[in-house]
Amino acid sequence: MPVPGTLEKELLNHISKKPATEMYPFVKVEVPEGYRGKIEFNIEKCIGCGLCSRECPAGAIEMVEDERTKLKKRPKFIYSRCLYCAQCEESCPREAIKLTQEFELADYDKERMVIDV
Amino acid sequence: METIELLILILKFVLFPGALFCIAYGWFLEWFDRKLYARFQNRIGPLLTGPKGVLQPFADFIKLLAKEDITPAGADKFGFTVTPLLTLVVSLFTLLFIPIASLSGILSLSGDLLLVLFISTVFGLLIMFAGYFSGNRFSIVGTERTGLQFVAYEIPFALSVISVALATRSLEIVNIVTYQVNTLKLPLIVIVPVAFIIYLISSLAKLEKIPFDVPEAETEIVAGWQVEYSGKKLAFFRLATDLKMVFVSGLAVALFLGGPYGPSIPGLEPVFYTIWFIIKTLVVMFILSNLRSLFARYRIDQVVRGFWKYLIPFAVLQILAVQLLIFLGVI
Amino acid sequence: MLEEEVEEKRVFKIPVGPQHPALKEFENFTFTVDGEKVIDVDFRIGYTHRGIEKLAESKTYIQNLYLCERICGICSGAHQGCYAQTVEELAGITAPPRGVYIRTLIWELERIHSHLLWLGVAAHEIGFDTLFMLIWRDREIVMDLLEMISGNRVNYAMNTIGGVRRDISDELKHKILKGLDILEERTKYYKEVCMKEQTILARAANVGILSKEKTLKLNAVGPTARASGVDVDIRRDDPYGAYDEVPFEVIVYDTCDVLARILVRVDETIQSILMSRWILENLPSGEIRTKFTRKIAENEVLGRVEAPRGELLYYIKSNGTDKPERLKVRTPTLANLLPVAEMLKGGYIADIPIVLAGIDPCFACMDRALFIDENSEKTWVWDKEQLRIYSIKWYKEHGKEVVRERWKQ
Repeated sequence: MPVPGTLEKELLNHISKKPATEMYPFVKVEVPEGYRGKIEFNIEKCIGCGLCSRECPAGAIEMVEDERTKLKKRPKFIYSRCLYCAQCEESCPREAIKLTQEFELADYDKERMVIDV
Repeated sequence: METIELLILILKFVLFPGALFCIAYGWFLEWFDRKLYARFQNRIGPLLTGPKGVLQPFADFIKLLAKEDITPAGADKFGFTVTPLLTLVVSLFTLLFIPIASLSGILSLSGDLLLVLFISTVFGLLIMFAGYFSGNRFSIVGTERTGLQFVAYEIPFALSVISVALATRSLEIVNIVTYQVNTLKLPLIVIVPVAFIIYLISSLAKLEKIPFDVPEAETEIVAGWQVEYSGKKLAFFRLATDLKMVFVSGLAVALFLGGPYGPSIPGLEPVFYTIWFIIKTLVVMFILSNLRSLFARYRIDQVVRGFWKYLIPFAVLQILAVQLLIFLGVI
Repeated sequence: MLEEEVEEKRVFKIPVGPQHPALKEFENFTFTVDGEKVIDVDFRIGYTHRGIEKLAESKTYIQNLYLCERICGICSGAHQGCYAQTVEELAGITAPPRGVYIRTLIWELERIHSHLLWLGVAAHEIGFDTLFMLIWRDREIVMDLLEMISGNRVNYAMNTIGGVRRDISDELKHKILKGLDILEERTKYYKEVCMKEQTILARAANVGILSKEKTLKLNAVGPTARASGVDVDIRRDDPYGAYDEVPFEVIVYDTCDVLARILVRVDETIQSILMSRWILENLPSGEIRTKFTRKIAENEVLGRVEAPRGELLYYIKSNGTDKPERLKVRTPTLANLLPVAEMLKGGYIADIPIVLAGIDPCFACMDRALFIDENSEKTWVWDKEQLRIYSIKWYKEHGKEVVRERWKQ
């Protein structure tokens, strides 16, 4: 039988409950463990193979000259273009790239959004 | 009249319980309504402007005054500019007759119940003009719907008020309140509960709130009759809507809940009566906010059909019941 | 202009879109109305065309995985899963059973998320803001579950060619099962509200009627067709993924109105919750992916999937290199667009938002480029050969600088 006002009991319950709003940014938000955030690059493990740059769908990784790696090249990450897809983490044969849980990455200047170790 | 009395009357008009008090109270009622609506939906509502967001409607008003005011090329310039001002003036005028700080309003004439009903009807006509003068297709559809809804809610509203007038045998608001206080010693809602319910439902339609906010349906015709107004004109329209909320709940308190009467310290009557007025109007607003968050929006033909098929017969039956009670000598 | 039209007849035209609160994405519908009744509807598409099919021809198969999931935000798992499945067929490899089961789990969890989102939006279109807020609060549960599994709330990127990329551990399984219990209770409550609340019934019953013959003639797909009594579901008729082993029911209603569409989607959500539970309890053990060679031999495959909105088709053609030669996507909203024009005629203006929302439109997925001649109001569509000739002519005129600038790296 259709009656108007089926939500009434629920509404009156809500007056005494805590609101479901998360008070971000006054309260920090917890992200789960496998979250795909900003890239963290470990130059020690890199061999300069260039697989990450070849596989990146967004063109966010460029190879530059560097003496520290075996093949004399290393990646430069432009994370303003990054999709956070983690394909580079998967393609790297030495596990030099990891995606952390940092997600508050907004910035005023696009030139600063680069990881150039 | 003595100059002192004239001066006091002017102060009453402007400060308390006149224009400034009513405007501030209108903003307070809007905050209360928004906060309750949010709490029913498990959200927070206004929070950061002022303590618990109390100053939010005031901040909205100031912001709108500062925005750019555009008159569209296809609009009728004189009508477009004058309608918001007239609406504000009309809403303030109706508030002069509602008892706030004493058992009578600032002005009181015999027959002022009908005068107040008539002026609130003018408010509805002004809304239709506002949509018509905008020259926009969405406003024209909004005006059509306002007109249709007007036909639907005015009659049950008037009938419920008339049943109160019949029960108290007077058309003057101050007499109705004193009847409840002195003769009956009970609020009239005990005698005519059906009229109270019909009054509440019609006032939802009058204030254009869900489930009857068809003229202003956001997802269908963007904003109905308000769509072309911006800046100062929109600020005045919103203020007029808030004042209408004060008017509707104030009239409900005066007619059905015994006016601002309550236990008080003799000599400090204005203060205590105002406090009782605030408490009682907040109760009425609680019921209206609850109804607002409970339903979906009806279609315009369903609104008109529902009002004519269900509310008007009940209102007529209520009038007959009141006559029966008078005949039996109960009241 | 308005005055002449009103004086001439009583009808005039109301534009809904591209910017309108009733639409969540941009398309233009022009309604010819008389008072409150809708007489005719005419639509124009092409506002969100992004050139994805062309872009896919210049990226490798692995890079296209992430391009295809961004065709749509709500059905991104369906797009990526269909693409991965089609390329696997193209290359001739099969994903291992555990990978296929996890892929199916993501499809079903996404169906729950998409239907709950739609239910909230439909409630908002009829003015029921309270139900909108409550449903979206409960949708956060499934978003958090997907975030725990895949690392992101939308664009899950769980699929790869040959299987899936991440595994589901046992403690994650317990958390998902707990979340599914809460979701099932809340969805059953919302179903009861939708069937009993008189204001919803007043707005949704007998509105937007599409008879069964018209449905078959105009080729509606997905829940729109199942609400008109047409019993079609790709998961049962042409099983892919793990659907030949998971037990489920196909929900069909035959009242042909918006209320039937609401109930079909709510029931499908409950079915998806039961399916997800079954998949989690019966996950086979083993590997989650197999190897994939970069170059694929010449082949062409048509793959299809039951996305939350209907039947999603992917056509991929390979030519021996590591980039596809042609990728074509046909999304369900493109098939449902003509039926919606049929449903809107004869209704009221007040019914426009709920009927438009009733097919669950995702205009971003479906867009095609449409050519319009402003002076004569003629519209036409070009096929591949005409587009190719036009693009060669354009690049000849505007020189090589444009190409060089764009492909700087």
